[in-house]
Amino acid sequence: MVNQTPLLEIENLHINFSVDKRQVHAVQGLNLTVYEGQTVAIVGESGSGKSTTAHAIIDLLPGTGHVAQGSIKYQGKDLVQLQQKKRRSYRGSHIGLVPQDPLSNLNPLYKVGAQIKEVLEVNDVVKGRDADQRVIELLEEAGLPDAQRRAKQYPHEFSGGMRQRALIAAGLAARPQLLIADEPTSALDVTVQKQILDHLDVLTDELGVAVLLITHDLGLAAERADHLVVMYKGEVVESGPALEILQDPQHQYSKRLINAAPSLQSERLASRERIAARESAQEHVSEDGQSLTDDIMQIQNLTKVFKLPGKGFTKTDLVAAQNVNFDLTRGTTTALVGESGSGKSTVARMVLGLDAPTEGQVYFEGVDISTIKGHGRQMKFRRRIQPVFQNPYASLDPMFSIFDAIEEPLVVHKTGSRSEREQRVRQLLDQVSLPHSAMNRYPNELSGGQRQRVAIARALALKPDVLVLDEAVSALDVLVQAQILELLNELQVELGLSYLFITHDLAVVRQIADNVLVMRHGKVVEQASADNIFTAPAVEYTQDLLAAIPGRDIQLAG
Amino acid sequence: MWRYIVRRLLQTIPVILGATLLIYALVFLQPGDPIVALFGEKPVSDAVRAELEAQYNLDQPFLIQWLLFLKGALVGDFGVSYSGQPVSELIGRTLPVTFQLAFMAMIIEAILGVIAGFYAGMRRGKIFDSTMLVVSLTVIAIPIFVLGFGLQLIFGVQLQWVPPTVGSDTSFTNLILPAVVLGLVSFAYVLRLTRTSVIENLTADHVRTARAHGVSDSLVNRRHVLRNSLIPVVTFLGADLGTLMAGAVVTEGIFNINGIGNLAYQAILRGENPTVVSVVTVMVLIYVVASLLVDLLYAALDPRIRYA
Repeated sequence: MVNQTPLLEIENLHINFSVDKRQVHAVQGLNLTVYEGQTVAIVGESGSGKSTTAHAIIDLLPGTGHVAQGSIKYQGKDLVQLQQKKRRSYRGSHIGLVPQDPLSNLNPLYKVGAQIKEVLEVNDVVKGRDADQRVIELLEEAGLPDAQRRAKQYPHEFSGGMRQRALIAAGLAARPQLLIADEPTSALDVTVQKQILDHLDVLTDELGVAVLLITHDLGLAAERADHLVVMYKGEVVESGPALEILQDPQHQYSKRLINAAPSLQSERLASRERIAARESAQEHVSEDGQSLTDDIMQIQNLTKVFKLPGKGFTKTDLVAAQNVNFDLTRGTTTALVGESGSGKSTVARMVLGLDAPTEGQVYFEGVDISTIKGHGRQMKFRRRIQPVFQNPYASLDPMFSIFDAIEEPLVVHKTGSRSEREQRVRQLLDQVSLPHSAMNRYPNELSGGQRQRVAIARALALKPDVLVLDEAVSALDVLVQAQILELLNELQVELGLSYLFITHDLAVVRQIADNVLVMRHGKVVEQASADNIFTAPAVEYTQDLLAAIPGRDIQLAG
Repeated sequence: MWRYIVRRLLQTIPVILGATLLIYALVFLQPGDPIVALFGEKPVSDAVRAELEAQYNLDQPFLIQWLLFLKGALVGDFGVSYSGQPVSELIGRTLPVTFQLAFMAMIIEAILGVIAGFYAGMRRGKIFDSTMLVVSLTVIAIPIFVLGFGLQLIFGVQLQWVPPTVGSDTSFTNLILPAVVLGLVSFAYVLRLTRTSVIENLTADHVRTARAHGVSDSLVNRRHVLRNSLIPVVTFLGADLGTLMAGAVVTEGIFNINGIGNLAYQAILRGENPTVVSVVTVMVLIYVVASLLVDLLYAALDPRIRYA
């Protein structure tokens, strides 16, 4: 159990960054205590100062960052007052780190085993051949199967989960008493995330290591930590026992965070309105005198096989999607859920008509889209189905102003005069709740959430019927994510849109989807209404996915 | 791996065919009569002219000349220069000199460039970095022949640290100045490339993680920053071999070195097809083999790269 001597005691910590001779305050007056063997979580959105705090402890603040005031006491010794060299001797041996992104945190040029051996050698644990043996033990301990062979491989031969296990092995190699886990699993699939966190829990328990967990996920924090520290804009707004905060949040921000956390939500967004919207969408179609088919899209036996170079001159088949069937009902949302490599994005590309299926058909209003030939007809089809992609940082051209970005589809499809187009851009900005003044700005001047609004406005520019949302909210902070989901829901009601919503995050699905397809290894393993998926999952894999949602068993008050 | 090497070597066949054909066409299009050039001011009788034209295949259209050259080259016979020496002998005499010069230049640019670039990158924005920035810009901006004559004047003529021209004594000390001149421009590029690469790697996630693991600064810099930064530099050095070859023509001219560049230069002036084309063929071969070696080295440095 928790020992009563503080291992880490941070008092009144201020961290500043110097920007053009001005001081920018990243962390202000932070207090934090970690006892031996205890797990403490710092929760906050990006920019809240949680990672900065973690880096200050190990004296690895980037750029001009520095501790301006306060103390960081480790076992009673103030690290801030120590000489730089002495401070650095704590790294690895006393305080370990498991970093955020397993893909970028291993040196691609060295074997995985060599990188763990390095930790052992620089911290004088063991050297030479003994170290090689120890590396294998450590990798096994971190839950990596076939460790002997794996130690001789390079990082690029590892999956994300395996790399994170290697980084855990490295972080714990010199047996530190405190492990800083900085978003250790946010880049991983949910089921892998659960396995790794479970393993980390067991391991740190066994070794009696205290953990400082940095996360944006309140559910995850509550599930894994004894003590929560909620940070907002560089300040601690609330701290206390995890359950207490979750069930009885005192600060406004904590309340909002709990309300927005998809993993803690059991409610769907305004589902009644959506049904009404769906009905009005149908009426709208009948007025136009078009076919009254309820399903705007029908996907039948969709299969995609990629040819990969095999050994020698042979080719091997990779079945990315196999026999996928579903109907997209007008005015509703169908969610495609699966982990990386499940084939969900492949299906999305085929639905958009960007890739030709190996077998099967995609029908849009009864027309097989592979039969749509000729530039004019193709363009007509394309404007009715539009994509929104995951990364709002990468999917907007940095050289295009927001106006240019939203106007571009209108120009490409030769819609309206210049002034009409400008009028339309203004209207679209209203629809996605962005001020008109945003028109003259550039993507780098907007936040992630604002950019995703721009991407949505751009997709809506041609008045499509269907939006394909490929991980459209996955890169966003929870509060922003909640706002965007809300916006999508409103737009669906207003414009009668149909969504194909692709995500790895089952928690988000609950808030937006009517129907759910769960995909694994290219196949649909379960297909049901959202209610059924959550209340009565039929397949074991779906149950695993649900069980992996962090914090879902935690009872909220009210 | 072996398949890759064989494929790369097979690729050299069209490269050599194309390069030699191009040279034949260029020399053919060049104004002036090589036989007149050979005899200088003296008149040439028609009989002698006809005999010489037949000997060097000059009476044939250039495509036939080219094919005849290829036929000979296949069995290692590069023909005879207008001055009567076998071209293979000329190349055999001059190539080692150029090799020595180019090798020295590459060592100078690689070692000095990487060291200077590394320190400039580590001390970004400090005096050393700014100085190197100015130096490299200056070196890149000045054409190689100005640089060559300038250094020759200062170190060869005025300070007399080295002989101003090399001539037949191609010893190490005599070749230092020409090698510096030849390598200087590429040194500037290597420096800047290394510097950028180091700055990029210094903020890489895995470098921070290595520090967090307790690895000391000097070890992190050597193992994780420097080695990772060398990869683009090695690629550049491979491509740079072509620059060194081209530069050798000018540098050997300035310092009067009997290298292959000088040989090519003299042959072009005299319109000696067999010599020019043979030299080009050898240069293309060297270039192809060297860039293959660099690509293999690249794979040795970066395990993510696999050739199949």
